[in-house]
Amino acid sequence: MLKIPRLNIGKISLLVAILTWMALLFVDLVRLFGALNQMDSGMAPEISWALEIIFFILVFLFYRDAIQKNEGSNFLELIWKAASTGLIAMGISLLIGGFYYLMGESRLSTDPLLKNLFYHVNFALTTLFLISTTQIWRHLILYQKNKTVIQQWQAFEVILLLSMFFIFFNQNTFDYAFIFGLLFMLIFGVVLSVNLKWIPYLTFKEKWKSLLFLVIILVAISYLFVQLLSYSESSLIMVNLTDNLFLLGLFGFVFVYALFSFLVTLFNLPTSSVFEQKLTEAISFQRLSQSIQPGQNEDQVLDILVDSCMSASYADGAWLELNVEDGTPAIHHQRFISNQQRQEVREKINGLKAFEESLKDSRGQNKEPINGRLMDAAFKSVLINPLVVNKEWIGNLILLKEVKDGFNKEMVGIISTFVGQACISVENYRLLNEAIKNERYKEELQIAKRVQQSLLPSELVHDEHFEIAGFSQAADEVGGDYYDIVQLAAHRFALIIGDVSGKGTSAAFNMSQMKGVFHSLVQLDLEPSEFLIKANVALSKCLERNHFITTTYFNLDTVQRSIKLSRAGHCPTLYFDSSKQNAEFLSVDGMGLGIVRSRMFEKYITDKTFQYQPSDVMVLYTDGIIEAKNKDGVEFGYEKLKKALNEHHHLAALEIKKKIMEKVFDFTGSTHLSDDDYSILVIKFLS
Amino acid sequence: MLQIETSHEEKYALIVLKGEVDASNSVELDEAINGMVEDQNTHMLIDATDLNYISSAGLGVFMSYLEDFQEKSIRFVIFGLNDKVLHVFHILGLDQLIKLKPDKVAALQELYEA
Repeated sequence: MLKIPRLNIGKISLLVAILTWMALLFVDLVRLFGALNQMDSGMAPEISWALEIIFFILVFLFYRDAIQKNEGSNFLELIWKAASTGLIAMGISLLIGGFYYLMGESRLSTDPLLKNLFYHVNFALTTLFLISTTQIWRHLILYQKNKTVIQQWQAFEVILLLSMFFIFFNQNTFDYAFIFGLLFMLIFGVVLSVNLKWIPYLTFKEKWKSLLFLVIILVAISYLFVQLLSYSESSLIMVNLTDNLFLLGLFGFVFVYALFSFLVTLFNLPTSSVFEQKLTEAISFQRLSQSIQPGQNEDQVLDILVDSCMSASYADGAWLELNVEDGTPAIHHQRFISNQQRQEVREKINGLKAFEESLKDSRGQNKEPINGRLMDAAFKSVLINPLVVNKEWIGNLILLKEVKDGFNKEMVGIISTFVGQACISVENYRLLNEAIKNERYKEELQIAKRVQQSLLPSELVHDEHFEIAGFSQAADEVGGDYYDIVQLAAHRFALIIGDVSGKGTSAAFNMSQMKGVFHSLVQLDLEPSEFLIKANVALSKCLERNHFITTTYFNLDTVQRSIKLSRAGHCPTLYFDSSKQNAEFLSVDGMGLGIVRSRMFEKYITDKTFQYQPSDVMVLYTDGIIEAKNKDGVEFGYEKLKKALNEHHHLAALEIKKKIMEKVFDFTGSTHLSDDDYSILVIKFLS
Repeated sequence: MLQIETSHEEKYALIVLKGEVDASNSVELDEAINGMVEDQNTHMLIDATDLNYISSAGLGVFMSYLEDFQEKSIRFVIFGLNDKVLHVFHILGLDQLIKLKPDKVAALQELYEA
């Protein structure tokens, strides 16, 4: 594939400019040679003018490209570039002058051709200097540009372009039109020269340097201008290239801008420290407002805070004390003050009336900076800034100065801004850390949820004489509901449902204890009441004082078709009697586990035994079902549960469970119940 | 929402409960009762006429004071429970341990009967 090399305007224009200059030199030398030998060389001055204009434009293009490439360079570098070009132009011109001085009256010194060559060299260098400096001025003028300035500059460039061609009209004579044109360009140059916004951004040192460079530019430009005038009086030059409106206009513009810059920089010197101070404050502020990165800590922000505040207020000493309320404040970032001095000053601060008063407001909502006087040998003024993070007073920043009343209103203002920003940074950092911690807790809870779900039986054992279906859902990640079924022997099963008081993590722990108790005691093959009495003893030792567990325990015999149950404060079992075709709640007296933690418990527990028939349905549930509320705050209640079973008793256990839950969800209007854990267990007896 | 008003009558301390007691505010109920116990009250009445709901956490609070009441011979009566809340006490078996009365008159009678 053919690659088209990207055109480099800078290099090409430079090359062509040199060629043009050589052509210009050649034309002029030929013309001079012809004149010297009384021959008509046929070289009209217009050829020179045309070549001159081409040269101007090419140099212009070259420098515009070069300056644009150096967009990033600072002001001082740019001014130095202009100054150095001026130095070179002036230096070479001086060398030429020196050469003639050394030659004296020799033949070589009067050779018109050589003189013409040097004239062209000087012309070229002057042009380079003026145009390059113009481009640099452009860069400076357009710093922090607005639309008007851009338009003005564009107009100026058009005027410059027009002025190049002016020579064709006035035929290189010095007439009123020329003066008018020059005056116009000068005025335009003055208008543009008020754009000096770059100067305040120089530091004090840079200002001095730029003053030096500007002096060099002014000297170089004056020298070159004087030299140019001397040429226009010379008779040896056939076609004067330098008495050109364009060049003279540039002279004027470059000089005026250099002079303005010089004067403004000079008068800016005394106030530059103020500007620098403001800039430092802005940078400090930015550093303080940057959020603390991971891996960093609050200390770094406080470190920046102390530094920033000290430089903003020219403080002579400072320290930071944290956790003042604890009595022994932690001292951080002690600056330019000894421990002994600090303690002395601290005691004097305690004596300040304003400080005493501010201590009363220990929460820190309305704490104000205190600007006080000290009767101290070393430090006569003190500024105490409270640090308040998340509405909590965490400490003080204390700044000291040797002079009396050293902190003015502006300083107090900027320092409280710094302190405020630092506190926000610290607050953000703490919040972020908290969020990360919370995230970890959430993960832990997810693990707990998985563990707890595995505590509920994944498969419910049963035989061919009954079906069983269960379902449990916790309100939070983990809950306190429990159900289980264990086969004691062929055709004999132990069944349990339980609900730990409260919900969430504490309930979940108790639920796992409950499971442990169940699986231990179930092996003893106890009567339901015995089971509950033993479970009460075991659980009373591990339940908190205000916690209890409600449960109902069943012994099931599928051969004898008998159910023996005992209730410990749990919701009454709903039983569908197929012979009556009606569901009823089984009433058995009982008492929750852990409520009476003595042998007295036994008297509250009774057993109930009955025979079941095929097609009977038993529904065990926890109070989360009964207390499920709809949006009006009405509970689902016992009656609706009974009605649901009456409607769907003919279905299989799994289907009955589904239908009942549908009823509950229809009632509450959502697909989950959020207030409490809820569980349901449906047992359907078969023939 | 739970509102608790405590007052000391001439012969007994009264706690009026309004609203719902659940896990989030059972601590307030606990504080109220604890305050009454620490004030050396020997006769305590709980007015639950406007109590609409009590969760197991709320029941746990009452339960946890049963031993204290017995040890310190504090007479403790709850009155005015609505049917639903009464049912909750009944299911759990707490009605066998705490005196529950339909109204204040019956409650006061119970308080000073023996």
